[in-house]
Amino acid sequence: MISWLLASSFLGSCAAGPLSRLFGRKASGWLLALLPAGLLAAFVHLAPTLEAGAVIERVAWAPSLGVDLALRLDGFSFLFTLLITGIGALVVVYAGAYMSEESGWDRARFFTLILFFMTAMLGAVLSDNLIVFYLFWEATSVISFLLIGFHAESPHARSAALMALRVTAGGGLALLGAILLIGITLDTYSMTEAIRRVDELAQSRWSWLILIGILLGAATKSAQYPFHFWLPNAMQAPTPASAYLHSATMVKLGIYLLARFEPLIAAVPHGRDLVVGMAVATMLVAAFQALRAENFKSVLAYSTVASLGILVLLIGLEGPTATVAMTGFILAHALYKAALFFVAGTVQHATGLSKLRLMGGLGRYLPLTALAATLASLSMAGLPPFLGFVTKEFLFQAQLESTRHEFPLAAAVLVNSVIVAVAGIVTLRPFFLKHRIRVREVKHRETPGLLLGPLTLSLLGLFISLDPEWVDRFVLNPAVAAVYGEPVAVEAGIWHGVTPMLVLSVIAVGVGVLIFIYWRPIHLTLRKRPLLNRYNVEHGYELMVRRTETLAAATARRLQRSDLRGYIWVILAAGAGFVVWGIVAARARIRWPLPGDDPVLQLGPAAVALIGLSGGLAAARARSLLASMIAVGLVGFSTALIFMMNGAPDLALTQFSVEALIVVLLTAALLKLPLAAPPSRTRRERTLDGALATAIAVLVFVVLVDLLGAPAQTEISEFYGAESYLAAFGRNVVNVILVDFRAFDTLGESTVVALSAILAWSLLGPRTKRDDVVAEKKRQTAFILTYTSRLFFVLLITASVIILLRGHNEIGGGFVGGLVAALAFSLIALADGIKRAREVLRLHPLVLAGGGILLALASGLPGLFGTGAYLTQLWFETSVFGVAIKQGTPLLFDLGVYSVVLGAVLAFLFGLQRAAER
Amino acid sequence: MNILYAFVAAGLVGCSVYMVLSRNVARLLLGLSLMTTAVNLVLFQLGRNRSAQPPIIPKGETTLTGAADPVPQALILTAIVIGMALTIIFAALALRAYRGHGTLRSDQIHSAERLGDPFDGKVSDG
Amino acid sequence: MVEALTDGLAFWPVGVPLAAAGAAILFGRIPAVQRVVSELGVVLMLGAALALLARVAQGDVVATAFGGWRAPFGVTFVADRLSAALVTVTGVIALAVTIYSRAEIGARRRRSGFDPLFLAMLAAVNGAFLAGDIFNLYVWFELMLVTAIGLITLDRRRAQIDGAIRYAAMSMLGATFILLGIGLLYGEAGSLNMLDLAERLAGRPATVTLSASGFLLLAGFALKTGIFPFFFWLPAAYHTAPITILAALAGLLTKVGFYACLRVFVLIFDLAAAPVVPGLPALIAVIAAATMLVSVLAAIAQVDIRRLLGYHIMGQVAYPMVGLALASFAGVTAAIFYTMHTMLVQTGLFLGAGAVVRANGSYDIRRCGGLLSNQPFFAGVFALLAVSMVGIPPLSGFWAKVFVIDAAFRGSQIWLAVVVLVVGFLTLYSMGKLWSQAFWKAPPRARRVLRRIPLAMIVALVLLASSTLGIGLAVEPVAEYVRAAAEQLTLGRGTGGLP
Repeated sequence: MISWLLASSFLGSCAAGPLSRLFGRKASGWLLALLPAGLLAAFVHLAPTLEAGAVIERVAWAPSLGVDLALRLDGFSFLFTLLITGIGALVVVYAGAYMSEESGWDRARFFTLILFFMTAMLGAVLSDNLIVFYLFWEATSVISFLLIGFHAESPHARSAALMALRVTAGGGLALLGAILLIGITLDTYSMTEAIRRVDELAQSRWSWLILIGILLGAATKSAQYPFHFWLPNAMQAPTPASAYLHSATMVKLGIYLLARFEPLIAAVPHGRDLVVGMAVATMLVAAFQALRAENFKSVLAYSTVASLGILVLLIGLEGPTATVAMTGFILAHALYKAALFFVAGTVQHATGLSKLRLMGGLGRYLPLTALAATLASLSMAGLPPFLGFVTKEFLFQAQLESTRHEFPLAAAVLVNSVIVAVAGIVTLRPFFLKHRIRVREVKHRETPGLLLGPLTLSLLGLFISLDPEWVDRFVLNPAVAAVYGEPVAVEAGIWHGVTPMLVLSVIAVGVGVLIFIYWRPIHLTLRKRPLLNRYNVEHGYELMVRRTETLAAATARRLQRSDLRGYIWVILAAGAGFVVWGIVAARARIRWPLPGDDPVLQLGPAAVALIGLSGGLAAARARSLLASMIAVGLVGFSTALIFMMNGAPDLALTQFSVEALIVVLLTAALLKLPLAAPPSRTRRERTLDGALATAIAVLVFVVLVDLLGAPAQTEISEFYGAESYLAAFGRNVVNVILVDFRAFDTLGESTVVALSAILAWSLLGPRTKRDDVVAEKKRQTAFILTYTSRLFFVLLITASVIILLRGHNEIGGGFVGGLVAALAFSLIALADGIKRAREVLRLHPLVLAGGGILLALASGLPGLFGTGAYLTQLWFETSVFGVAIKQGTPLLFDLGVYSVVLGAVLAFLFGLQRAAER
Repeated sequence: MNILYAFVAAGLVGCSVYMVLSRNVARLLLGLSLMTTAVNLVLFQLGRNRSAQPPIIPKGETTLTGAADPVPQALILTAIVIGMALTIIFAALALRAYRGHGTLRSDQIHSAERLGDPFDGKVSDG
Repeated sequence: MVEALTDGLAFWPVGVPLAAAGAAILFGRIPAVQRVVSELGVVLMLGAALALLARVAQGDVVATAFGGWRAPFGVTFVADRLSAALVTVTGVIALAVTIYSRAEIGARRRRSGFDPLFLAMLAAVNGAFLAGDIFNLYVWFELMLVTAIGLITLDRRRAQIDGAIRYAAMSMLGATFILLGIGLLYGEAGSLNMLDLAERLAGRPATVTLSASGFLLLAGFALKTGIFPFFFWLPAAYHTAPITILAALAGLLTKVGFYACLRVFVLIFDLAAAPVVPGLPALIAVIAAATMLVSVLAAIAQVDIRRLLGYHIMGQVAYPMVGLALASFAGVTAAIFYTMHTMLVQTGLFLGAGAVVRANGSYDIRRCGGLLSNQPFFAGVFALLAVSMVGIPPLSGFWAKVFVIDAAFRGSQIWLAVVVLVVGFLTLYSMGKLWSQAFWKAPPRARRVLRRIPLAMIVALVLLASSTLGIGLAVEPVAEYVRAAAEQLTLGRGTGGLP
């Protein structure tokens, strides 16, 4: 049942937008109000079943996370559902009339938001699972944000909306933390469970965090000091929204939460003191501000804050009467405050004025509104026989019964008197008092839509207290029972004889009247004090925002100095720091290699190595780029020699050809660059860099020594050595690894090469006719070079093919082959220009590269379909001139690699040289 | 011997670090290329230089015995080629950047970070 | 460990885009054909990913041993739940980006190689997700780097070249870290296959080499992930690329970096149960927290929507890093869930930013406005994505955040949980500003009339927004799956779970 109600509410809200377009300007308000009204009827219909006990429904959502749509309708939720749906219906009607001038799109938007908000509120007060509760809680915050910023073109509305969002959602995050901690402590997210096992919460080490989280959530939502300031600003929202969200329902959600967790507040030491303190501060500040405020709506807003403070105070006080007073006051306040907001809206709508000081004598133009205002104000002022009076009696009684009454009681009396004054100010002044400024004419008369809301609510405030039977039985008593835990006898009579409470009420009213009479001087003197502006919390908020922005700006500046060197420095230093930290944390000793397994020092290799090192140093120190490049090349070649001398001919060959190519290509590039490179670093920077470089070198050395000291694990190499010929039919183990055992690496890497070719090609710009002409001009044809180059070309190409073919058994393979072939073409390009080279090549280099990838990929497919494993190499005997040779897919694969490398390098070469010739 | 190699490799890494920290993009490029070489030399130590005999199964034999560790060689071979590709990409980038700005100073090649910079005053478009 | 069943299934998510890339290169001159090729390739890739997911979801690990050489001797692809999920997410993102590209990538960009680069990048990403061999992983990282540079410099604008130089320089350093780390790992343990490594390292005493390797890998992966203090390349380069490409990079690349952290540190170094290398979790926690705070603050200061979101990429990828730092089963689960979520949402936000720019004609949010009244539907979709990143229920972002915070509390790392909450607040702050500027505020005089947003963009956005909403609503099965994935990743060594 409840879940269906919730679902229908949701679906109805989804349909609201289009429907409002359909129904049009006049009718949409009334017709859309049917949704909340229907829900109200449904809930009222549930009342009798509620007497038996709470209605519980459960829809599974995420059981393994302990999250499900557990809906629970008990007395307290019931009170809220009535307020939400009932006032919701009136708000929709009122909005229909109030927004009749707005565009269709705006009205559709507004109705959708309002109805979604109603759904969210219902969900919040109905859900028993805390996570789901949080879901709806956040939903109300977001919708409130959208409603406050409804007139988004006004910057005030936007900033007010952002303020509300930051405050409420910020508190929401704290609440989320608390909820998760509850989940961790109790292993359940059920609210009832949490309240039942509240002692466990109180004993757990998280207890304070949990309480703080809940308090923050509630205080931000219910505008408690020091988070109250967003509510008066929220009055930027259209008045119907203010009436609904910011006085009647949403701001009471925090009260709802606190009331539910009242046992926790009681259980945690000093919990009550904290809450009461916060409440009293809120009440006093709000009352004070209510006297300073000048706009109709903001006066109401501050009195709302005061009332919320009173509610929190009542939660903080122990004893059943407090609970009774709280529930009663929630009802009374919702009725009269919403009514007054409606009135405020009508007045603003009619006169276009917002400052109270400028209004007067409106009664003539808006008689019925005036009536509604009067009734609501009487209830607000707490005069008999209105509901407000009854609840105020309970308020004072609760305070007298509670242990801590002196200060809170005084505050309560004072605040109540201010509320009395406000009641007078917002009714008598604008409507009845005739003072100098008086409104001459009004833009809009009252319409039924504008009247239904205020009249109904204000009259309810009277009737309920005259005939409290139904409400007592079905609403207040169950609510009190639900909150307090056990039923409490509530007799909401009006006359209990002359009690201390009555005396206090009289005092409050008396003082209130005095304040009302002297309102204008008080108001003006208070407004004159700029200090008060400087030292209120809102100012603090703005300060905090500004601080955040400056901090953010500072961070952004610091992060991006746009100096590449700085970045690299940090990265290298941090990397080194990480390793140092790791070694320190490991507390491991360095393992020195045993003299035994360290090959003896031979002169040749040692000399080569040292030459390489000196080359590195030279490269680092060289002033001219060319010198530096040559030194780097020297390092490359000596590395190749080291490879050669340590049983790695394949590496040596590859390194040689790579170095050769890099030299060719870089010269092509460097020709364009200024070779003399003046030092780009200050002396200090250079010393810093030197230090870092040395540190890193030392670090690498230490780690390497430790590595050499570690026992070598060679199972895998041995396997390769054993299988390479027998299973993979190749004698050159390195090549077999590349094209068979780890062929997939090779595939990926050829893709890298091919893609970098495309990259360079597109980077260096496509070839233009002009380039060729320029190239032709630039080329100084040296016949010797051309002839020799042709000779070399033929030689190198054949060499590359041989290297490719025999690679599997001897030194060589696709990579080296491709590189050598590329060298051949680069010779032609150097000698006779790119154009010639490309004529010789015929194919577009990128086509070579792409085709190579496809070939390599395809070479794996037979294996896939043959044996089911991709890249399984297959072999077959072919006999050439009667000599049987094994051929196989590895050759195809290697051919693919060959053409990728060739195509890529040529793409680089042509591109770079072209770029250089430009 | 290996200690010496380790020393040389580490030293080369140090040199490359020093070059990479330069503000001259071309020097940075050379530094990166040097770093690749140096790292390959470091990786070469994984084989512990067990033997000078290349990992090629001699004719007549079916399994490899007492040769150098082939695995690091295969890895280095891959690394060399990738390193070459990256070096040349970087060269291409540097060339274009030089054409765009007429300088190799990396602190003057900064239109990337000026683009849409909140402190840069001018409004960012594309 | 669930014994892997061998078949080629795991190869296709990489093979398809690779083949498509090769074909796209061949047709480099004919943009129309290229487009068809790449669209076909992406669809097939997604299909392959889904097939893999369907198989893996039944609980068995799919492994492809290339060349038929059994691990640890051959290179293998291993698709466990984690890999399969991420590959699928990649497929979805690729699809969205491809649809979107119809509206932004014209013939000129295709001629200068968009399709092959994009496809090869997808192949690289999937390869990294599937690699069962750590050196193979390195190769895919390099391919990613090359393709990313290519994509960033697609228009060959000055800013793009500069950005690419910075990106290339720093990423090459990162690659060097990774390569050294892998080498040392091989030198110590004598294997490259990750599972094999995990078994070999289990219970080893800490050694200098091992620690150096572990922290070098951390540094390298952190750089690829854009984690403090290695992130400088990201805000320096990303924002220069065209939005389509930016979205793809944002969704995929840094996440691959984090995936590598997850795989290597949880599987090989067994962070979640018995860390082989001491000192890792503490350091990860620190850098993750620093990243979150720094990046969100920097984001607040930005006015260029690309830079703004760019900083949020960093911030968002740090959340799963927190999960990893907690070194607990709950943490790993949170990390996996968050990664999947953030990949989808980041891509969506960038595509949305592209639409904002298309409508307003400016990247500067001060110059944007009026989108809510002008493009209500688009505004709604964008809001959904933004709200999901902020972490409002019931979207996937909320659950992701909840898992992280919950794990942090369970690990009684209260300070981390608090940092996450505070950063969540600042994220909300930043997104609120963006919304108020670009969607609420009336557009500046100059552009009273907003250009309309092409359908392709909207479709792509809806695809991603609905996926984050879907994950949020169907959180139960997803969470179950992720928990099982964490089980597999930790080889069942981890225990415990979520409430």
